[in-house]
Amino acid sequence: MKKSWYLNRRTFLHGAGASLGLPLLECMGLEAASSPRPRRFCSVYFPYGASLPKEGGEGSSWRWFPNGEGGRNFSFNESLKPLEAHRENLTIIEGLSHLKGRKMGGHDTADIFLTGAELKPGELKNSVSADQVAAEAFGEATRYRSLSLSTDGGVGEPTRASTLSFGRTGQPIPALNKPRVIFNRFFGANEDSLKRQRKELMSSGTMLDLVLEHSKSVRKKLGKHDQEKFDEYLDSVRSIEQRVERSEAWLDVPKPEVDTVGLFLDADENTPEEYISTMYDLIYLAFQTDSTRVATYQIGNMNGATSIAGKFPELLGLPKNMHGLAHGWNKKGGAEALGKWDRFLAQQLSRFLDRMKSTPEGDETLLDRTVVLFGTSNSNTHNNNNCPMLTAGGKAIGMKNGQHIKLGADVPMSNLLLTMLHSVGVPEEAFSDSTGDLSEVLA
Amino acid sequence: MERVFLDSLRVFVIVVFLCLLFSPPAAAEMDAAVRAVLKEHCYSCHGPEKQKSDIRFDTLPTDLIQERAAAETWHDALNALHLGEMPPEDEPPLSQEGRALLTGWIQGQIDLAISEMESTGGRAVVRRLNRSEYQDTMVDLLGLDLDYISNLPPDSVSPEGFKNNGAVLSMSPMQLEYYLEAARKGLQSAIVTSGRPEVSLHSSEETVADKGKGNYTNRLGRVGSFVARIPGFPDEGEFEMRIRARAELVEGKGFPRMKVRFGYRADTQAPAEDVAIVDVTSDEAREFVFRGRMESFPIQSRSQSKYPGMLTWISNVYKDGEEFQSLQKVTDTNAKGKKKTKQVYVEDPNFPKVVIESFSFTAPVFSSWPPEPHRRILFESSLREENEEAYAREVVARFAKRAFRRPVEAVEVEFLMRFYRKVRPTVKRFELAMREVLAMTLISPDFLYLIEPGEEEKRSLNEFELASRLSYFLWNTMPDERLIRLAESGDLRKQEVLRQETGRLLDDPRSDRFVEQFASQWLDLSSVDRIAVNPEYYEDFDTSLKPHMQAETRAFFSEVLRKDLSALNFIDSDFVMLNEPMARHYGVEGGPGGTTFERVKLAEGIRRGGLLTQASILLGNSTGEDSHPILRAVWLRNQLLDDPPAPPPPNVPELDGESPDMAKLPVREQLEHHREDPSCADCHRGIDPWGIAMENYDAIGQWREKIRRKDPQSKKREVWYELPIEADAELPDGEMVEGMVGLKSYLLKKRKDQFGRALVSRLSSYALGRSLELTDQADVDEISSDFSKNDFRLRYLISKIVSSELFHTK
Repeated sequence: MKKSWYLNRRTFLHGAGASLGLPLLECMGLEAASSPRPRRFCSVYFPYGASLPKEGGEGSSWRWFPNGEGGRNFSFNESLKPLEAHRENLTIIEGLSHLKGRKMGGHDTADIFLTGAELKPGELKNSVSADQVAAEAFGEATRYRSLSLSTDGGVGEPTRASTLSFGRTGQPIPALNKPRVIFNRFFGANEDSLKRQRKELMSSGTMLDLVLEHSKSVRKKLGKHDQEKFDEYLDSVRSIEQRVERSEAWLDVPKPEVDTVGLFLDADENTPEEYISTMYDLIYLAFQTDSTRVATYQIGNMNGATSIAGKFPELLGLPKNMHGLAHGWNKKGGAEALGKWDRFLAQQLSRFLDRMKSTPEGDETLLDRTVVLFGTSNSNTHNNNNCPMLTAGGKAIGMKNGQHIKLGADVPMSNLLLTMLHSVGVPEEAFSDSTGDLSEVLA
Repeated sequence: MERVFLDSLRVFVIVVFLCLLFSPPAAAEMDAAVRAVLKEHCYSCHGPEKQKSDIRFDTLPTDLIQERAAAETWHDALNALHLGEMPPEDEPPLSQEGRALLTGWIQGQIDLAISEMESTGGRAVVRRLNRSEYQDTMVDLLGLDLDYISNLPPDSVSPEGFKNNGAVLSMSPMQLEYYLEAARKGLQSAIVTSGRPEVSLHSSEETVADKGKGNYTNRLGRVGSFVARIPGFPDEGEFEMRIRARAELVEGKGFPRMKVRFGYRADTQAPAEDVAIVDVTSDEAREFVFRGRMESFPIQSRSQSKYPGMLTWISNVYKDGEEFQSLQKVTDTNAKGKKKTKQVYVEDPNFPKVVIESFSFTAPVFSSWPPEPHRRILFESSLREENEEAYAREVVARFAKRAFRRPVEAVEVEFLMRFYRKVRPTVKRFELAMREVLAMTLISPDFLYLIEPGEEEKRSLNEFELASRLSYFLWNTMPDERLIRLAESGDLRKQEVLRQETGRLLDDPRSDRFVEQFASQWLDLSSVDRIAVNPEYYEDFDTSLKPHMQAETRAFFSEVLRKDLSALNFIDSDFVMLNEPMARHYGVEGGPGGTTFERVKLAEGIRRGGLLTQASILLGNSTGEDSHPILRAVWLRNQLLDDPPAPPPPNVPELDGESPDMAKLPVREQLEHHREDPSCADCHRGIDPWGIAMENYDAIGQWREKIRRKDPQSKKREVWYELPIEADAELPDGEMVEGMVGLKSYLLKKRKDQFGRALVSRLSSYALGRSLELTDQADVDEISSDFSKNDFRLRYLISKIVSSELFHTK
């Protein structure tokens, strides 16, 4: 790679200086040093599936899944080779998909990656995503409940969502997509004095109270369809009111100081390598500073017609855009072309895992206390089954790694999401259409 | 209405559709012909005797609107048909007609059921201002040109491609948080608390050298920049830059382009932002004056200053598409006879230059203190001294009226005043309290949404709702004072007044925002940004041309609108809108010299005219390497004919990828290959030919006589081969067309009314901020027929829509 993505470690430590010399994180959060160490939930999604030529067939060295029957002695094919160093930190899962997703259009399933819902024609209603269930459970412990990112940003449209995160009623949560905006939100210093900030927050609280009261009277004058739409606004006012209260509680805790050196805050969709690595860096920094414990990142959505991320592979010198590569996987040379894109994504993931693994947290590491899901919702184009995915990290919170597992087609992916929730300490009995834990990934 | 429908599938859908127009929207009885196909091919396994997989078609309800479970079964059946799973191999296959009949009926019914479920009763849903409307409204309301939207997430897009559809635009807590932040930021700039500030002045005639190596000069050619270092500057307020510059023009080249950038912040690495990019068109020096707000540019944090001042960079960004090595190695022999090689910047004599004669900077600039935006809100009044609260009430009432775009009731003002009374004691200065109270109006739903209260029944808009609908349609922003006055007097509803006002709005420069928004969204101009042009195929292509491509199409739309031309110019025209970069791209000589678009009459041999030959459309619907006939065809059918083909069904079977020579086949044969599969053929017969007719235009929209392709099987992709172009196509109705010229004349001859109606539908949908429904079709028909009778003039159409029942109804 021509440019070093890596933060200069010394600069970085210098930047994060506030936490040096103290047990990491504990000086930053509201929690006292005696409280349990954090558990974190992270999910990264890429669209259109991966290269899956038949074992032993043409281009089979670019098969995303390892060959063979699974187990501990698997060997990586080319696509995931960059993750070799992390083989003991991950489990590759073959055979899994959302059962309800199989009834849906081939390009419609990015929406349900973390929800397991079925988007039925005409209503297209989603349900809560696993990351938001985790955020409900322990989001209060950090300055921000969760961090939702995507390359396209916003919420997109139903079946073409550009976010992985959905709230309790299935409403999409907008994803941030500009590194500088994300950085400012999480780490940007507020140059106003504390006194002034406090005053402003108090004022916000009163203001929102009154706006809510007024808006309720506006709602009464509206017709039914208008009321339904308007409720989004009312919900937003209520929720931002709570946020203001949280912000007041956090006011005395300074935002962590993070240096921007090494971050490409102005990277955009024209520089995919810098962009994706910076998005991972921002998740890493948010975790490392305990600014949040829940993060999602959608690398691309499946809206071939509008996704700005579609051209990433071409910008990296591959012959087609994401959709084109995915369509061509079974054509001559197609497995390799798509495999190279898969490998690029694996490199980016590997770099993120490196950073997570090399950051100690007590006698463990950041990665050991974070469960990471990396995957997609197609196998190859348009087919919503046997979706390539892997989990990483979470060693200290009950996840089993160092294996390649193969599951029957009847296992719902919601079982995996439920197990991830269990590993981060959320005592839900079920999630979406889960039938139980996915015991194969439990230590 | 002349609509020729081509394949039986479409005809069938339309029959269903027309039946519905004349009967209440209940699902149609199944057509006997469809029933016969089912009976012949399906009943034996899914009928009275056998019910394989528990599916029985003879009793399955055909009303998909009422029977949801049945709808799902029909949907599964459709998928099985598309996949070729049914009928099974050991049963007699469906005929092409039978298949089309069956899939057409099911798809038609599903579409109906979906539109019924999604229906909002033909009424606009309470509509949030979208990003660009919010930005323009804030600018106009506060009188301050700041960036209010940089943090807001992108808006969702309606099925027609519009960003102003109330049902689709959503709200979220994060968004509301950023609205509040933007409101406070804007009001902090608008309402000043300090006395008349010191004015900083700086001027220079020579460039300074910035850190590091670089070519710092007053003569800006292919490389080089002029840098001014401004030692003293305020953090807020308007600044003015005066740059005296002249051009050194070069015969046969365009005008040099001066780009001015300002600001930098070291600790957050925030880079400089553009102040302006302008053509310098004359050898005579002239003064260029630019204004901006300090707050819009990254300012060095004073607490950790790493350099003593603000920097301004001026460079020349003209592109002539030629190679010239500006940085050259020169070997010198010094006095001692030793040879020394160094790198120097060499001027290219054939490159037009900008020469900077002087630079000056003033900030803040104001004609009075407090500045105008402040005085507009906190107007002068003796009341302020006499009774502060009464003054506050007056300020709030005036501001809320503008922000809410309607008269404000006393209880609403009282509501805001309740907040005032809470805030006022907590701050020393009156201004600080007012900033907060006015921020509250800016996060109120009455500001953020276009609200049209009402019960379930349709009703006429009131005058103020009408004023807003009109100004957001044609200006993308709030109504101005005149519109509000006309609403107050009730005159706005008079057809004569409304017609005049429509004309006035269209003649006002703010209507550029309509052109920008509507043309970009209707024609999907952002597609250009989604395509990466492959430099292996187009070595000389410069990505900075993309915005010019988009601007060309907007300029073309603008010309048709401004000159009140026929909308048929969108299909074909005897002129093009060009600037220097686009003229060069198309190989048109003797065109404009600068970046401003000018009307150019088409000379012999220039194969342009209409939208279809514009690079924005051609590139946006390409692969970045080659044309993409299917995308181009879908674009034509969707954008120009409002007849988008159904999206590909789920689990589309792969084409036979083993055919090794696919890549070497001409497009036509590739596509024919595609159409061998009956499940693809049904749709693709109606798609492919439209795109084939455009084959003479390559991915970046240039004319070509041959298709050049790289062999994907050669490892390094360096083997090129050429294919002939065959752009003659048989359109779905059997008409043969030859290439783009044939296609355009066919469209004008046979599809003119369909195009007219399509434009009416799209423009109405945009004007109303909602999707059209069945109940709107009669209005659309009427407008379309008048549009056609009035030579398809665009201004006429806008006026017609504005005066229509549709536009006046909630």
